[in-house]
Amino acid sequence: MSRFKVTFHPYNKTVEVEKDATILSAAVSAGVPINSVCGGDGVCGRCKVVLKKGSVLMQATGLLSPEEKKRGVYLACLSEVQSDIEVEVPRGSTADFEKISTQELKKTFSDIEDIEPVKPAIRERLFTKMPLTVKLYLSLQPPDLNDKVSDLDRLCGRIKKAENFSALQLGIVNIRNLSELLRSSGWKVTVTLSRRDQTTEITQIEPQDTSLKNFGMCFDIGTTTLTGQLVDLNKSEILGTKTAYNKQATFGSDVITRIIYAREPDGLEKLHCAVTEEMNRMIQELIAEHNVDLNDLTCVLCAGNTTMTHLLLRIDPTYIRKEPYVPTANFIPPIRATEAGIKINPRGLLYCVPGVASYVGGDVTSGVLSCGMNDQAASLNVLIDIGTNGEIVLGHKDYLISCAASAGPAFEGSGVSCGMRATKGAIQKVKISSRDFEPSYETIGGAKPRGICGSGYIDLIAEMLRSGIIDKDGKIKPLEHKRIRQSDMGREFVVVFKDNADSSSDIAINDADIDNLKRAKAAIYSALSCLLKHMGLDFDSVPKIFIAGGFGTSVDINNAINIGLLPDVKRNKIIFVGNSSIAGARAMLLSYEAMEQAEEIARKMTYLDLSTEPAYMDEYMAALFFPHTDLAKFPSVKL
Amino acid sequence: MATEVMLEKYSGEVFTVSIGATKQEGGSRSHTIKIGGQKALPYLFPEGAIPNKPVIAYEIWDIPPVDWSAELSSAYGAALKDPFTWAEKCVRDFKAEILCVRLQGAHPEFGNRSAAEEANFIKALLKKIDVPLIITESGDDTKDNQVLPACCEAAKGERLLVGSAAQDNYKTLAAAVLADGHNIIAESPIDINIAKQLNILISDMSLPLERIVINPTIGALGYGLEYAYTIMERSRLAALAGDKTVSSPFICFVGQESWRAKEAKLAVSEMPAWGPEVERGVIWEAVTATALIQAGADILVMRHPKAAAQVGKYIDNLMVRGK
Repeated sequence: MSRFKVTFHPYNKTVEVEKDATILSAAVSAGVPINSVCGGDGVCGRCKVVLKKGSVLMQATGLLSPEEKKRGVYLACLSEVQSDIEVEVPRGSTADFEKISTQELKKTFSDIEDIEPVKPAIRERLFTKMPLTVKLYLSLQPPDLNDKVSDLDRLCGRIKKAENFSALQLGIVNIRNLSELLRSSGWKVTVTLSRRDQTTEITQIEPQDTSLKNFGMCFDIGTTTLTGQLVDLNKSEILGTKTAYNKQATFGSDVITRIIYAREPDGLEKLHCAVTEEMNRMIQELIAEHNVDLNDLTCVLCAGNTTMTHLLLRIDPTYIRKEPYVPTANFIPPIRATEAGIKINPRGLLYCVPGVASYVGGDVTSGVLSCGMNDQAASLNVLIDIGTNGEIVLGHKDYLISCAASAGPAFEGSGVSCGMRATKGAIQKVKISSRDFEPSYETIGGAKPRGICGSGYIDLIAEMLRSGIIDKDGKIKPLEHKRIRQSDMGREFVVVFKDNADSSSDIAINDADIDNLKRAKAAIYSALSCLLKHMGLDFDSVPKIFIAGGFGTSVDINNAINIGLLPDVKRNKIIFVGNSSIAGARAMLLSYEAMEQAEEIARKMTYLDLSTEPAYMDEYMAALFFPHTDLAKFPSVKL
Repeated sequence: MATEVMLEKYSGEVFTVSIGATKQEGGSRSHTIKIGGQKALPYLFPEGAIPNKPVIAYEIWDIPPVDWSAELSSAYGAALKDPFTWAEKCVRDFKAEILCVRLQGAHPEFGNRSAAEEANFIKALLKKIDVPLIITESGDDTKDNQVLPACCEAAKGERLLVGSAAQDNYKTLAAAVLADGHNIIAESPIDINIAKQLNILISDMSLPLERIVINPTIGALGYGLEYAYTIMERSRLAALAGDKTVSSPFICFVGQESWRAKEAKLAVSEMPAWGPEVERGVIWEAVTATALIQAGADILVMRHPKAAAQVGKYIDNLMVRGK
C-alpha cells in the first residue's frame, strides 16, 4: 500500500497516511484541530479545507457550493488522499474550542494549571471518616514452636482483631512475598486495606510503619474540563487541585461526536489515552509538588458523565447514543487503576462514581451527594450543573429526577473566541459604563487579563445589555465607538486592547460568541423549566437552587438572572456550590458511607428524556432571547 | 331547561392601530383605517368587543408584476403597466379602502430604482389617490434599507404602514418609521417566539408596540395554512391573556401566497381534472383569506379583485352578526 504525506497549513504539520485515508483522519493523527461536528459522517459540512497541492477523491456531497468547489474547497471527512497533498485549514473549520494561531492554540492547550477550588456556599457534609483505603500498622507476634499459625493467618487474625473484619482478597504476589517480608521487617508491617463493595482486600503489605502516608486522588472528568485533587486520606485534607482541558476535545467538542469517533480505527484507544495521559500528568505534578511517593497513592476515584467514564475505562460507548440509549454499565465495580492506565500504586484501586443513565452520569450523583439533596432533613431542591452537558436534578430524600441539556462548553470558556477556564488571568467580573462604554474588570489572581471565563461572560453580556451595546437578541449594535468593529464573526466589542492584556490579540466578544452563550443559557433555563413543569411545579415551589459548574469563583446572581440563565426568583434561593462533582468525589474518597449514599442516589434517581418532551423545543426557542421572549417571566429584570 | 352559555372573558386586548392620517390629523388621506382592538377570539361576539372589521388591501406594484399568472394579470389588463392607473382602478372600480404598494422595482434584479425615484413615486401616488397606503419592500435588505427610509420621509405625516422589519434587519426601518410617524410591519417566519422577540426589539427602539403590525408569514391553502393558523391562534390567545408583546394586529399576504400554489396557476390544459383556472385561482385566494380571517387576520393583502369581492361579502356577513 502506498503512503502519502499530508501537510496542513497554517500549522505546518505533516503526517504520513495510507492511500485512501481521509484528510480528517490525517488531521487527527497530525493533531490538527479540524471541526467535525458530525464526527466524520459527512453530514455537517463543517470540516471544509482548501486543497493547495496534490489530488484527493471526494465522495459526492451537496454541502459545498459550486463557488466553493471552484476554489478547491473539500470536506475533509469525505476526501481520500491520492497523492502527497497540502491543504489549508480555514479559520471557520478549526475545532470549536480552538483558535487559529499556533500561539493561541498553545494557550488553549496550555499546561495543567492550579486552581483554588471554589468554596461552596453550603457547609460541607459530614460523613463518618472511613476512607476507601486505610493503612494499618501492625506489630505481629513472631511464631514459635507453640504458636505455629501460618504467616497469612497470623496477619489476617491480627487485622480482624484490629478492625473487626475479615480480609477476603489478597493478591498472589503479596502471599508469595509475605514470609520474607515479615521476617526481614522484624514482624512490623503496614497493610493497606481497600474496600471493594461489601468486602475488603489487602492491597499491599509494606515493611515498617508507613501508615501516616496514605493518599488518594479524586477526579472530575468533564467533557471539556478535567479537575484533579490530591487528598491526604489520614488528615482528610486537600493538598492540591489541578485543572486542564480534556484533550479528547480534539476528537469532538461534545460527547456525541466522541462516541462516533470511538468507532474509528483506534478511536476508542486514542480517546482513552487522551484522558488518561492528562490524568497521569496531573498526578505526577501533584505528587511531585507535595512530596508524595507514587506508592503511597493508594486509590483514585473518578466522577464523570457516563460517556467519560466509558472512555476512561476503554469501554465502547456506541450504544449510549443509539436508541434506546443504554450504556454498558452505570455501576462499575472497583478495578485496579493500572488496568485503566492510571498510574498510582500498582495495586491501587480505581473507583467510579455510579451513574444514572446514558446522559446523567457519576458527576451528577456526586453533585447531589455533596449538596445534601438526599439528606433526611432536606426539602425539595434543584441542582443545576452548568457544564458542556448541563444536568439538572430535582428532588429530595424520597425521589430524585434528572434531565440533561446539551449546553455546550461556552460557560467553561470554550467555543467562544476569547474564552478560557477560570484560572489565573481570566476576566471574571466586568462592569461597563453606560456613558462611554468603557469596561472595568477584575481578573482571577489580579493578573494581566488573558481571556474571559464563564462568570466574566455572564457579567459582560448583562452589562452590554444594560448599557445598550447589544439588543435583546444579542446582536452588537452598529454604534460608532472605538471598541466596536466588524470581525469575521459579526461585530465585536473589545473588552481589553492587547496592549493591556497578556495576549497577542485584543480580548473581545463577538456576535457569534454571544449567540453561543445565548444557546447555552437557553438550554439550561428551558431544561429546568421543563423539568419543573413535568413534575407539576414552578420556580416558586423550590426553596433552594444549587448552581454548580466551572465558570468562575464568583458569579453575580443578578447578572445571571438578567441574561436569563437562571430564573427570576428570590436571590437568596440561589446558592453557588462550585464544582460539586469534585466535592462529592472527595467526600466519597474519604468516607465509604458517602460512597454508599452515592450508590443509593444513583439507584433512586430517575431520568426524564427531554428529547421526547414535546414542550422542550418550544421552551428552548422562547429562551433564545435576553432575558427571555416572555418578559413576564423576569419581572425584576429591567433592561 | 334553558342552556346556560359559558362565556370566556379575557383580560387582554389587541392594540388598535390606525393607518392613514386625514387632513385634521396632519395628513392628506380621505379616511383612516383602524384595525385590531379585539377583546375576544375571532368573531366570538358575545365574549368581547370586536370593534373593527378585517380589511382587504389591494396589492399593487411599482413595476409591472413579474410572476403573475395570465389569469391574475387579465383581471387588471393594461392597468398593470402603470402603477397610477392600477391604483386608481383599484380604488375606483373595486372600491379599495387601502392599497399595499410593493416596491419591487427597487430590487437590483428588477429595475434597481434608486431611493429618490421610489420616494418620488410614493409622493406622486399619494397625490393621485387618497386612500391610506401600505408600503412593502423589494426583498433586497441592503437596498430596502435605503429605499424605505426615503419613502417614509416622503410620506411624513401620512401615518402609513411600512414593512418589513425582520429579526436580523429591523433597526433602520424602525428608526425611519419612528421619525416620520408611520406604523411598522414586523415579519417573523411562522414563529410566535420570533414574533414576540421582534416586537420587543422594535419597542426597545422607542417605537411603541401600538404602532406594530405583525406579519406572521402564512402559507396558502395546502401549503401550510394550518400551521400559520395555529401560530396566529396561539399569538392571539397570548394577547388576550395579557401579553402586550404579542398584542399586535396581523397582516397576511394572502394574494402573494395563494397565487404561488400550482392549483391556482396551472392551466386547465395541463391539469384537465382540476377544472378551469379562471375559477380555481380566485377560489384558492378566497378560501385562504377566509380561513385566515377566522385565525384573526386584520389586514388581508389580496390580488384578484373577484377573490377580494367574495371575501368582502364574507366579511360583511360576519360583521352583521356582531350588531
